[in-house]
Amino acid sequence: MNPEVPKANRVLVIDDSESIHKLVAARLKAEGLEVKGEVDGERGVERAVAESPDLILLDVGLGDVDGFEVCKKLKEEPETRNIPVIFLTGATGTEDKVRGLDLGAVDYVTKPFDQIELRARVRAALRTKRLQDMLEQQSFLDGLTGLWNRKYLDRRIESELTVARRYNRPLSLVMCDIDRFKILNDTYGHLFGDIVLQGVSETLRGSARRSDIVTRYGGEEFAILLTDTALGAGAFVAQRLRSSVDARHFDANAEHVSVSVSLGIACTHDLGAEISTENLIEAADRALYASKDAGRNCVHMNKAGDISLVDPDIGPDIFQEKRR
Amino acid sequence: MDPIRSVYEDDPDMMEIIEEFAEELPGRATAITEYIEQNDWPNVQTLAHQLKGAGGGYGFPQITEAAAALEQAVKDDSDTTLIKERAGTLCEILRAVTVTESS
Repeated sequence: MNPEVPKANRVLVIDDSESIHKLVAARLKAEGLEVKGEVDGERGVERAVAESPDLILLDVGLGDVDGFEVCKKLKEEPETRNIPVIFLTGATGTEDKVRGLDLGAVDYVTKPFDQIELRARVRAALRTKRLQDMLEQQSFLDGLTGLWNRKYLDRRIESELTVARRYNRPLSLVMCDIDRFKILNDTYGHLFGDIVLQGVSETLRGSARRSDIVTRYGGEEFAILLTDTALGAGAFVAQRLRSSVDARHFDANAEHVSVSVSLGIACTHDLGAEISTENLIEAADRALYASKDAGRNCVHMNKAGDISLVDPDIGPDIFQEKRR
Repeated sequence: MDPIRSVYEDDPDMMEIIEEFAEELPGRATAITEYIEQNDWPNVQTLAHQLKGAGGGYGFPQITEAAAALEQAVKDDSDTTLIKERAGTLCEILRAVTVTESS
């Protein structure tokens, strides 16, 4: 889900003849696509669910079930609903084509297919898919800062909690709030406030690790999700975020304005196995309030309800703490 | 019947898979003949259908044409003489396919 890393397009061919899989793979080689084949409709659906390809080429006349049934299933499953389907039809009649399109297929190609036509139709379907994905991604992005938004955070915490539970890995959450933001806004204006929000976002993103998920939680509050990270290591990252923002200043009418943030961190491993998204956010929030109460520009951690100040000089050796 | 070659045999992307495809054809011809002897029409239809879909794509439009004719005859429940005649034509074509030996 990292917005900067595009993945190679993958195509799944569901056709009862392996000769067709090989043929499609050879013909799409020039497009730089990864092509996989499945001869069985049932297994084709399972594979589509598991691997979420970017495009499915589906034969109408499959051996076990007919292709229309498979298409119906693909359009019912939430995991595969948005994957475009192109029907491979042997029929020259319009009936099959219309039926396929009515079931949600984006296009059809008649077999034996012309290679240039096949490539063009595949390109067109992938182009539409990319635009669709981009639109979906945009609904998860914050317009002002370009960070992931709260809607994305909520979804991502849910799925990361599942992973953390399954593999017994720690998941930490940092809540971060810009200090005295209202005063900054009132003194220097909202335009300056926006510049601060953007600058702090940029700094947080730059100082976080590649695997950390930096989001704008709302207003002047940010949430950073640290996967596979225990409390101590997370506290080190939080301190680094704090000092990076502290080191930065913003220019308002030839005046240097310094900005600071207060942070709070909590980790799933210290909060019990049945922890929910709300529990985790709440626990990190309580640590954040402690930082506000302690005079701001500092980090507190919440260890099973026991809230303490994190030493500003915390060293990276904290990473050596044992994994449970 | 003269040897039949793929119209794509010089395409480097295609050479290898054409060879693989061609190697399977005599076996398919045998299978069709056997299914017909057993009056196993659904399997005749499936094989014809697959050859119809793949033949042209591999550069053998004759296969697609003959396989389509056979598939149609089985679908229409035509009399056995017509089916056998069309299967004969298809099998003759399948056995006439030749590929350049790759070194």
